[in-house]
Amino acid sequence: MSSQATIITRKQELPLKEDSSTLFLKVMISIAVFLFAVTLAGVMSINSMLQNWNQSILGSLTVQIMPINNVNKEKALEETLDHQARAVKFLEGLNEVEKVTPLGDAQLEELIKPWLGDGINIQDLPIPRLIDVRIKKGAEIDFMSLSEKLAEVSPQASLDNHKLWLNKLIKFADGLKMMAMSVLLLVIVVTSGAIFYSTKTSLGLHRYIIEILHLMGAKDAYVAQQYARRTAQLGFVGGIIGLIFAIPSIFAIARLAEQIEGGIISDATLSVTAWGAILCLPIFASLIAMITAYWTVKNTLEKMM
Amino acid sequence: MAKPDSNNFPPVIEMQNVGIRYGQGPEVLSDVKLSLKKGSFHFLTGKSGAGKTSLLSMMYLAQKPSRGIVNVFGKNVNFTNRDSLSMLRRKIGVVFQDFRLLDHLSAFDNVALPLRVCGMEEREVRKRVKELLQWVELDRHILDTPATLSGGEKQRIAIARAVINRPELLLADEPTGNVDNDIAPKLMKLFVELNKLGTTVVIATHSEKLINDFNYPRLHLQNHNLHILYPSSRLGGQI
Repeated sequence: MSSQATIITRKQELPLKEDSSTLFLKVMISIAVFLFAVTLAGVMSINSMLQNWNQSILGSLTVQIMPINNVNKEKALEETLDHQARAVKFLEGLNEVEKVTPLGDAQLEELIKPWLGDGINIQDLPIPRLIDVRIKKGAEIDFMSLSEKLAEVSPQASLDNHKLWLNKLIKFADGLKMMAMSVLLLVIVVTSGAIFYSTKTSLGLHRYIIEILHLMGAKDAYVAQQYARRTAQLGFVGGIIGLIFAIPSIFAIARLAEQIEGGIISDATLSVTAWGAILCLPIFASLIAMITAYWTVKNTLEKMM
Repeated sequence: MAKPDSNNFPPVIEMQNVGIRYGQGPEVLSDVKLSLKKGSFHFLTGKSGAGKTSLLSMMYLAQKPSRGIVNVFGKNVNFTNRDSLSMLRRKIGVVFQDFRLLDHLSAFDNVALPLRVCGMEEREVRKRVKELLQWVELDRHILDTPATLSGGEKQRIAIARAVINRPELLLADEPTGNVDNDIAPKLMKLFVELNKLGTTVVIATHSEKLINDFNYPRLHLQNHNLHILYPSSRLGGQI
């Protein structure tokens, strides 16, 4: 008997390894983790990009008043300044605005000096008048609607083009981020669904064994733990495989993004935390798989037997 | 056969007005009244289809009655939750007529099943299982799967699995049906020894020899009803 003692190894009562769904689940989880990792990298890049962009548009903005064309220069200037005054009054009435400063002649001269040199009379030139607007800390401004309202107050007034364009880009990126988040959620739901149905099928397949286990005094949790353990293993292995494919893909996409002109995408970098999160995905997949399988078994057995 | 002090304990199994029907069919068992005291030993008899398996399956908590009350170890099975039913099943050892062994597991793992589901430490599991397999003379087949064993060997594994956890209630459906003539008395001796140690035993059998060799009362199923026949009244009728 003692020689036999060394070769007795405990075999799992439920032969889950031999289930036909094992390979399917492994492949499914690998693909899910691959998609999740690439999308997560995308979301985190967009996030860092948005932060950079937001910082650059927060704090202040510039409104320009296009000059009125009129043969009578004095009248033209008078009308332009009138438009400027209307815009200033409107801007000062906004809650988000801290301070509105229309740039005086001296300041405008300073600004155009590098191009036109000294000794110019600013009032003779048909150049736009500028208003510097300082925004309150933490206040959020909808540039699109501000631009529209400003045009109603004065058809000559317009927002600084670059910021308006950046604002549109931020909105687009925000939308993209939401979409990517939905993809992440969808990946979780679909994977959990696949685990749910394959676990249910397996429970039906092993009904005979489960009945015997119950008759021997096994609680539902005993069966659920065997499923949870097996599915967690599958989740982890599938997760590692998915990650192995995802990491080079993330680098490849980052490389492509860097080549885009204008340096817009170069603002998108992955932080150490982001990489940490991506590397933790197999554990996350394993956890989700385990919880789904455990819950499915407990729930199904209660209804099945 | 109840022991003198067994009256102090609640009945191991108690049934009142119990009926079982499957679907819309007629009742397989009707108005069953039964009270098995701790330490009692009964044979369960009746023709095939008389409802022996249904009665046994209620006793090992695989089935709830269609009507009436079934109390097992003092608990009404209709009002006991799943986990508590599992705890009750751990006190019950069952030998099935078709053995119900797990074909992918070795003789050792099959016998170890009731101990492992209770979470017993593996060292203790090995010790107990090896001892018992030796006792039922199956130590040579410890790693063999049921498919490679004879009917009698499978039956001995089934019996070993039923008694490994020292059950308070032992239910056996034709436990000596497939074993050789020299093994059958040995297995009956095991049941009697367990009974002496306090285990309540119910053995379903068709074997008149077995019933005559052992002087125990008989639960007899006839016309969907249960009758209790005591050794002295066997020929005389029912009580």
